Amino acid sequence: MSQSRTTILWLLAFPVCLLTAFFVMPLSVVLISSFTSGEGQFTFGQYGRILLDSYHWDVILVTFRLAVLSTLICVLLGYPLAWYLVRIVKWRSWRRACVILLILPLFTSNIVRSFGWMILLGRTGLVNEFLVSFGFVDRPLRFLGTETGILIGLVYILLPFMVLTIGNALAKVDPALEQASRDLGAGSARTFFSITFPLTAHGVLAGGIIVFSMAISAYVTPALLSGGKVTVLAMLAFQQYSTVFDFNYGGALSITLLVFTIALIGIASWLAKPRTPELEGK
Amino acid sequence: MTMVVRLIALLTLGYLVLPLVVVIGGSLTDTRFLAFPPQGVTLEWYNVILRDPTYINSFMISALLAAAATLVAILAAVPAAIAISRYDFKGKAMLSALLLSPLVLPHIVLGAALLQYGASIGLIQNFPALLVGHTVIVTPFVLRTLLPQFSRDQVSLEEASRDLGASAWSTFFLVTLPQIRSGLISGAIFAFITSFINVELSIFNTTAELNTIPVQLFNYVQYSVDPSIAAVSSITILAAVAAIILIDWLIGLNFLSDQ
Repeated sequence: MSQSRTTILWLLAFPVCLLTAFFVMPLSVVLISSFTSGEGQFTFGQYGRILLDSYHWDVILVTFRLAVLSTLICVLLGYPLAWYLVRIVKWRSWRRACVILLILPLFTSNIVRSFGWMILLGRTGLVNEFLVSFGFVDRPLRFLGTETGILIGLVYILLPFMVLTIGNALAKVDPALEQASRDLGAGSARTFFSITFPLTAHGVLAGGIIVFSMAISAYVTPALLSGGKVTVLAMLAFQQYSTVFDFNYGGALSITLLVFTIALIGIASWLAKPRTPELEGK
Repeated sequence: MTMVVRLIALLTLGYLVLPLVVVIGGSLTDTRFLAFPPQGVTLEWYNVILRDPTYINSFMISALLAAAATLVAILAAVPAAIAISRYDFKGKAMLSALLLSPLVLPHIVLGAALLQYGASIGLIQNFPALLVGHTVIVTPFVLRTLLPQFSRDQVSLEEASRDLGASAWSTFFLVTLPQIRSGLISGAIFAFITSFINVELSIFNTTAELNTIPVQLFNYVQYSVDPSIAAVSSITILAAVAAIILIDWLIGLNFLSDQ
């Protein structure tokens, strides 16, 4: 017994010290300084600044609007793609190629991916050229520096997470259940909405919350595609550290961002637990 | 109905691939400005990049940083995974939650925290400062892929090895390690990539001399866009393709299959 306790101590010594020294401690420093005034006194004032300033409400509003819209669009595009990969594609090599295409963006830097959109969405970029030459618009639209541009980039970055989460939920649904529903006379729409979708709803919710929390804390994509014209919460926090050097206020912004993210991830992992054991235990 | 789903799915796949194709295409252009579709085909921009010492320097720093962070992460994650999967102790659930929590933390928050904390202990704008941050975020990747590799049946093999007189170390290297190898390799590749493409954490601790490839690209792209940037980006995309093929070959990519 005591020998195994010594072994456990030896095994855990390095990982625990590493995480304590360079993860728990730094975050504690930020937490403490977010409750500290410029004169070193304890205060709730830094959080008060966030809540009372209307500019910050605008930034928070923009951040949330972008996160909500990118989550919705990710579900609308991600569900059909997941369905296609899990249910429609029969040819294994093509599915494998599609999965590689799906995860390839996850293996490339946000910079490179956002950079691709900077080229595509410019005044003379491919998207505008397409829209103008096919007569959808009279003159080139402005995407860069607008919320639409950021939205296109965010959806692009986050979509693979949604497809993988929904796809995993979908792969666990037994097609025999759908077949039974069809045999009993339900149409394909009714089968989808009363059988398949409810069985994958936890996957959609979990994916949605992962995407939402990543969209809220995104920095690189909004920074590159906004051209400094639109500000989101992560950019505001970064400014406090990099140019304003107000660590107390920056700390309060960071902790706000962190609390949002942790709360959402917590809800997501709770929702992702399978709800219907009697159907899963086939 | 199936046709509609197929159409949306294929268009969405196109949407996922388009920016990468544009970056690679743009890097081949003959013009001094970035053009897509490329006008003419040349590899000149790759030549420009490969002759630029600042890019080579950043590339070396990024590779060294990712390799070092992966190595330290393995040294931390392997013993942690053994402790979590082989022993019962108080606070085990909390410990694994702590060790995996950097996965969900916004990197920009950790970057800011490490800057502020590092400033007080002199760990700032140097290679160790970058290394500790990267190690913290990649350790959970290795741990997460390692944990499912430890199964109950291995215990009896390990016990047999000990009964036959092998030391704890020989048992680890000869019996345990070969069985967790595939998880270790894929975890290490994920860790390396995560470190190699990171911006949010590195950006707080990089300087003109100590710069990583993604941060250098980030700073450059904010002011100007030219084909040489597309060439650097293309190199990283091709490296990503190579990494995915490597993972597929080593462990098989069976996401989203029926089983």
